[in-house]
Amino acid sequence: MNATELVNSTALRVAGGLLTITGTYLPWATFVLNDGPYPAKATLEFFREPFGLAGYRAHLLAFGVAALVFALVAVPGQGRILRALGAGVVTVSVLNGLWITVDGGGLGAITVSDEDVAFGAPVALVGGVLILAASARGRASDVPAWQWRFPPWWERLLLLGVLVLLLVLVSAVLTSGGQGGAANVYAGAVFLSFLAAAGAGMGALHASGLSSWVAALSERHRGFGIGVLLLCALALPFTGAGTEYWMTVAANIGVYAAAAIGLNIVVGLAGLLDLGYIAFLGIGAFVAANLSGAAASRIGLDLPFPLVMVISAVVAGLFGAVVGSPTLRVRGDYLAIVTLAFGEIFVRSAQNDIGGLTGGSNAIPGIPPLSLFGHGFDEKLVIGGVRVAPGVLYYVLIVLIVAGAMLVFANLKNSRLGRAWIAIREDEDAARAMGVRTGSTKILAFLIGAMLAGMAGAFYAHKTATVSYESFRFIESVTLLAAVILGGMGTIPGAVLGASILFVLPEKLREFSDYRLLLFGIALILIMRFRPQGLVPDTHRRAERAPGREEPTVVLPAVLAKVGR
Amino acid sequence: MTATGVVLVGAILLAGCGTNRSEGDASGPSCDASKGTLVIGMIAPMSGSLSAIGLGMRNSADLAVDQANEKCTVPGYRLAFQPEDDQSLPQIAAQAATKLASDPAVVAVVGTYNSSTAQSAAPVLAQRSIVQISPGNTGPALTRGEEAATDPKRPFPTYFRVAANDLVQGPFGARYLVQKAGKKKIAVIDDGKTYGVGLVENFVAEAERLGARIVAREKVGEKDTDFSSTIAAIRPSKPDAVYYGGEYPVAGPLSKQLAEAGLDIPLMGGDGIADPQYIRLGGRPGDFATNIGAPVESLSSAKSFVDAYAAGGYAEPSSAYGPMTFDATNVIIQALAGVVRDGEFDEPSRLQLLDAVQRTNLSGASGKVAFDEFGDTTNKVLTVSTVEDDEFAPLETGVFEPSS
Amino acid sequence: MSTLLSTLLSQIVNGLVLGSLIGLIALGYTMVYGVIQLINFAHGEVFMVGAYGGLATSTYLLPAILQQQWYIALPLLLVAGAAVSAAAAVAMERFAYRPLRDAPRLAPLITALGVSVALQEAVRVFYPGAISPLPFPRVFVEGAYVIPIGDGVPVRYTGVLIIVGSVVLAVALQRFIDHSRMGRAMRAIAQDRDIARLMGIDPDRVIVATFALGGVLAGVAGILYGADLGFVNIDIGFQTGIFAFTAAVLGGIGNIRGAVVGGLVIGLVKALGGQYLPGGTAYDYVWIFVVLIAVLVYRPQGFFGETERVRA
Repeated sequence: MNATELVNSTALRVAGGLLTITGTYLPWATFVLNDGPYPAKATLEFFREPFGLAGYRAHLLAFGVAALVFALVAVPGQGRILRALGAGVVTVSVLNGLWITVDGGGLGAITVSDEDVAFGAPVALVGGVLILAASARGRASDVPAWQWRFPPWWERLLLLGVLVLLLVLVSAVLTSGGQGGAANVYAGAVFLSFLAAAGAGMGALHASGLSSWVAALSERHRGFGIGVLLLCALALPFTGAGTEYWMTVAANIGVYAAAAIGLNIVVGLAGLLDLGYIAFLGIGAFVAANLSGAAASRIGLDLPFPLVMVISAVVAGLFGAVVGSPTLRVRGDYLAIVTLAFGEIFVRSAQNDIGGLTGGSNAIPGIPPLSLFGHGFDEKLVIGGVRVAPGVLYYVLIVLIVAGAMLVFANLKNSRLGRAWIAIREDEDAARAMGVRTGSTKILAFLIGAMLAGMAGAFYAHKTATVSYESFRFIESVTLLAAVILGGMGTIPGAVLGASILFVLPEKLREFSDYRLLLFGIALILIMRFRPQGLVPDTHRRAERAPGREEPTVVLPAVLAKVGR
Repeated sequence: MTATGVVLVGAILLAGCGTNRSEGDASGPSCDASKGTLVIGMIAPMSGSLSAIGLGMRNSADLAVDQANEKCTVPGYRLAFQPEDDQSLPQIAAQAATKLASDPAVVAVVGTYNSSTAQSAAPVLAQRSIVQISPGNTGPALTRGEEAATDPKRPFPTYFRVAANDLVQGPFGARYLVQKAGKKKIAVIDDGKTYGVGLVENFVAEAERLGARIVAREKVGEKDTDFSSTIAAIRPSKPDAVYYGGEYPVAGPLSKQLAEAGLDIPLMGGDGIADPQYIRLGGRPGDFATNIGAPVESLSSAKSFVDAYAAGGYAEPSSAYGPMTFDATNVIIQALAGVVRDGEFDEPSRLQLLDAVQRTNLSGASGKVAFDEFGDTTNKVLTVSTVEDDEFAPLETGVFEPSS
Repeated sequence: MSTLLSTLLSQIVNGLVLGSLIGLIALGYTMVYGVIQLINFAHGEVFMVGAYGGLATSTYLLPAILQQQWYIALPLLLVAGAAVSAAAAVAMERFAYRPLRDAPRLAPLITALGVSVALQEAVRVFYPGAISPLPFPRVFVEGAYVIPIGDGVPVRYTGVLIIVGSVVLAVALQRFIDHSRMGRAMRAIAQDRDIARLMGIDPDRVIVATFALGGVLAGVAGILYGADLGFVNIDIGFQTGIFAFTAAVLGGIGNIRGAVVGGLVIGLVKALGGQYLPGGTAYDYVWIFVVLIAVLVYRPQGFFGETERVRA
């Protein structure tokens, strides 16, 4: 890059930053939309209240100022940081501009309508594009690798701070935009905008090399990191996200996450594609429904929950071994189809009330909620004077279950068995030649995976109170699979991360429910096209692809990956 | 700001600098909304394969809320409508119910469609004393507990339904088919879902009591399209009528394929097939359907619903459950109007609302709506109609008395 | 006795009609798998899209006067359905599968699931009225001929059309693959893509042609299906697609004759299993899947597949 180019690109960056800042202070909508005023004081202007920006405009302002600073101050990874900031400005302004345009019924809403003018969105967008354009050449610069070291206790304290920030961020993402609904029509817009801003901020942090340093930090204090992470997860109910609604959603995410961890053993470690995996969750749930004193169950037993969970896991595991047994003869795509066939057989049989065990089309309703010392899990709870929402106990329980599943997964992955699975995944014939007993090893993968799903199923039965064959259709298996792939096959936090995203997004964007499945299908295609290794790539596989380079692109999963490993 | 908007972006870009800003309050006479906004929620399957029903329910409830706002039915409040998708999954329905229940502005919920989703949503709503009225659930256990027939116990005090449960509709159909139409050898087919299975079970019990013979019992898959093997299975028993438990998407083609296989016998079904689409998909003249309430022509309220729906400009048809959804919503609106007549809506009002809904007496699009002590509709007026030309023509309207 | 016989014969006829249709779709699976070893899970949706393409043509393009003349309407719809399906299949190959040709094996299969969901939902959301089943125009002779055995064995005229159409198309396809230049190229690619490339064959062109050909057959199947049953809905692709895939595997994947025979077997299993096996019609799908599992486990190469197959 010669001197003129340098000057040019710096000028462009400064211009972009200035335009972004200008954009935030311009009005964004020419009139009050029919659905009510757009959030973040969309008609605010600089001279009335220079520091009164909130919401997406505050994010944009921060990005604009940061862009100015980084354009003028040379730091390592400058180009990448600016690119992340530029992308953030573009996404946020496009999102909000688009929303106002659509809601306002035309481009007049963000440009000129009658006598009113509002050019906030276009100006900020141009600013963002300028920053991006000027930083496109920064591609070559590498992410700097910091080698700072501090005394161990300082490092731990720092790690604690980072993880607490993470907790705050998760809570903020969940609560951003508030609970959507008739009274809060812009919830979706606020959420998406916040998500884009948070993503861009993460990207900038990563580009600066700080996140990799934090990841290395957490690697040095693994045990401590895991403990704090678990505590943070348990502390979520005490943040703004501790409402009954989010606790219910989180409990459902937990069910799917635990099942996805099981699937991750089968698909991610052993490389056996299972398209009927949700059946094991279903089997666990039906077993629990029958053993927990539901009036509709024919068996009529009422066993304590821990015992029920064990029985569910065992029964599901046995079925897992049965479903897995064709792996002795069938490989690859054919195996996928066999598992799909088993899944369909399960749904059909459950719908026809096979053996009177599934309630058929009537399902098994009325499964009593869990209780501990006479306190129902669905009731309100007061801990030391702090009132927490009903359902928190379910949340705590599922966090423990998921943590247990992760522990099982982590230990297995690094065990002899786990290495055998990975060997089979990479080359079955070679593994056999090296003395791996492939048959029993593959069946074990199915058995253990199914047990985890069955355990989750027992929890599911109590939490949902109803177990119906409708919950275990093919599309649910695909969703689970998508969770594993999105998160990263074969990685410990991958399944949890994937399940969380796949559940939180539809909840936050309920107004798009018409398009839910369409977007889901397109997302599957795009993920396989552009990031088949998922958000948290597996180090084994990564090592195979590009030796010597370790570069997680998203900081949040990277931290989780390091901590969980 | 509907989701459709996103798709329209392209069109908007072409349309240039238009807007849809409304000057002031353009929507008719402005009502007094000084006390704020109250929300009526809905939980229904609005994505996936049941979306035709769910979207019809959403539109019908939306219509009722719009009408109430126009007529200022609820003094001092503006009503808002908040539909939530349950994806036909119990766990998602529970999530949606929790979401609605945690919003203090939500006064009541219309829905769900599937009985299994109701089973998981009802406990959540009951805990917060939020009234729930379902237009579509037919499983008897929802109102009468597990021992519905022998020892009925109401499990959820806040749960009501305007749909007749299967204990009414199946036997009513059986009486007509056996006694009036004189069919004695009947084949029954169901689709394996709650509605269809329950309907057929209760039909069979009554038909056999009246002396008819059930010569074949078969099932079709809910995603099946070629029923020729099912038909071939019932053909040897030479039935003189077929009773189908399920909805029109299967029943229409089934009727057509019956005739093509040489079984030119009438098909009878419940309100799930009483839809014009049934005839477009192959329903034949002479087929029967039972309907809840009096026929549309004789009921001005039903007629006005159909007209208002058409005028509403909704993209999807109202579906078989439209009128009952409309009624369920109106039950809530009327009860609410009484509760807030001289006061604000607060927590104690929820019990008053519950009480008012229990005492409902409304003549709606599906006939008289009132609830018994279990929350079931007492509307035992049913109509048998038959396909004539291109529509269902009512044959007979009667009040169902359970046989002792 | 005669009743039993006529029931049996009726079920066999039903099985053959359903089976030929499944066989026609299975040809698409078998060809694509034979050439690039990809289970095109979304092929069932190609069939569904073809049916909707024909429906759209008839609803929005054909004048009413032409619709009543089946010998004009049917060929037009067949062409339209085939064109729409082929276009969908080619687009699918170009945008979803081609970028993944060298990816790990699971990737294209998962992409195929995504394509399947997306196509189905796209039709549901964007085709007017597709959220519920739509009537399909009558484009062939209606009614049935009743063979006078026992209580009579009804044979729908459209059913005869399906059986004849499938057999003719399968024979034509076999000849095409055996004798045409493109057919040879397909076989060459199937055996070894790299060597074929060295021999001057453009693999991309051949693969596109394979997808297009499979799409044409699926589109024809879609129209025949609509004509036979008088309605279409968006679910037909998934279900029929799985049956067709099963049929392709049953017959020995990559084998044209096998696909048709496999389809017929599936059709017969469904019809006869629903009639005679325990559980009745409620469990007829279960039997198909049981057959599938059994075949994959005990004879993974299918009826006509070669036992030893060296694949790249």
